[in-house]
Amino acid sequence: MKKILVVEDEEGLRLLYQEELEAEGYEIITARNGKEAIQKLEEGKPDLIILDIVMPVMDGMEALGRIVGKDRKIPIILNTSYSGYREDFMSWVADAYVTKSSDLEELKTKVKELLEKGKAR
Amino acid sequence: MKKVITMLLAGGRGERLYPLTRDRAKPAVPFGAIYRIIDFTLSNCINSEIRHIYVLTQYKSTSLHRHIQLGWNILSPALGEFIEVIPAQQRIDEHWYQGTADAIFQNIYTLQHEKPDLVLILSGDHIYKMDYRKMIAYHLEKGADLTVASIRMDRSLSKEFGVMEVDREGRIVGFQEKPEEPRTIPGDPEGILASMGIYIFNTEILVRRLIEDARSDSSHDFGKDIIPAMIKKDRVFHFDFSQGDCGGLGYWKDVGTIDAYYEANMDLVAVIPQLNLYDPEWPILAHQQPYPPAKTVLLEEGRVGMALNSILSHGSIISGGSVKRSILSPKVMVHSYTEVEDSILLSGVDVGRHAKIRRAIIDKDVQIPERMEIGYNLDEDAKRFTVTASGIVVVPKGIRL
Repeated sequence: MKKILVVEDEEGLRLLYQEELEAEGYEIITARNGKEAIQKLEEGKPDLIILDIVMPVMDGMEALGRIVGKDRKIPIILNTSYSGYREDFMSWVADAYVTKSSDLEELKTKVKELLEKGKAR
Repeated sequence: MKKVITMLLAGGRGERLYPLTRDRAKPAVPFGAIYRIIDFTLSNCINSEIRHIYVLTQYKSTSLHRHIQLGWNILSPALGEFIEVIPAQQRIDEHWYQGTADAIFQNIYTLQHEKPDLVLILSGDHIYKMDYRKMIAYHLEKGADLTVASIRMDRSLSKEFGVMEVDREGRIVGFQEKPEEPRTIPGDPEGILASMGIYIFNTEILVRRLIEDARSDSSHDFGKDIIPAMIKKDRVFHFDFSQGDCGGLGYWKDVGTIDAYYEANMDLVAVIPQLNLYDPEWPILAHQQPYPPAKTVLLEEGRVGMALNSILSHGSIISGGSVKRSILSPKVMVHSYTEVEDSILLSGVDVGRHAKIRRAIIDKDVQIPERMEIGYNLDEDAKRFTVTASGIVVVPKGIRL
């Protein structure tokens, strides 16, 4: 079973992503901020990371750099309410950029796409 | 006008220049009596009206930081100009820079902050005079994504360079990094087109290619990875150094070894050196401390203070000793009855009475005791000092004799 690390500070959203993605057949682990995400990364390698940007303690942009510094190839989806970060060079490091919406279809499609791509690699 | 940011890579260890690089990074190694190697590249920038410069450092950078702080505090922050030193910060990766491309990638936040149209990437390791504006104009005229400066070199040197193959329009169609069997220049079987490690990138392409490289297994090097990948999909052109050479003689030296360093220095004492330091149109700036003028004293029978075919710097005194075909940095003291020949004496060196020095490089502040001989018995010298294949003796900084 593919393991996904969901990094999200809002508890409601975290639970929502967890339920919806588990229903798709993925194993989900969660972190509340970038710092926790890096700890989780060290505990067990996920196959993909869904990363919020605006978070306390360590934000997603900072975490993105650190994550890639530890694991060059892990697929990462930036998942944010804001579209403005698309212009940040650092956001280009992520494999996909999804703007949050109540409909999780786009996110699920990207997850599937990137995991398939990972298989091919 | 396009916004250009310069990233000057000054993190090289310069291992083949040891022991001159024992206490300093290669760009901080003194050259030509009063300069440091990096002064040539920085002077090129200033003379090319390029005034937004980041200097990326890592190993043994203290000496380089001090030099830039003291010698290059010449721009106007009020006008937005700067020469700023960025030490390796480990913001992304916890390692030292893994290659030249990684050094730029690790500073992606700086590029983000500046959002320039173009990024000029330079190395602080070379001695040359070049107008980068001409290369920028060429890059724009060609509508290039990347332009690489090129120079003709003998094919025998191919293992030291990135070697390119170009088409009639100047587009790079092949790139081999340090090949044993290089592609030679059409019609010139002894020549190769070598990369000078000078690049102009459109910022967006640079960032995208750096990210692709950072996220793959690679040595994260411009010559080995980025350029070979880009020539397949992007518009990559070469810029012939002769089109931007301000010396006019094609002078470009990588003083990568002690022997090359010695030769390049010694060339300066020639009547007409290949590298002209006297051109008012292209001044080379250096950090100069307010020492008094150089001086020769004593004119007695058997005790004449003299310097012939030599370069002297301020603060130096030749007192009753003889200096021939040598380069003296500031504050060098040469005492009576000495003979200094074909040597490089860096700042603060003191040569005691009756000492004899030939074909040697004496590093900063070394005190040569009375009657010591250096360069006359290489087997003896090799017991204490570095002696190169061609017989140059290097006396390191900090040694007590």
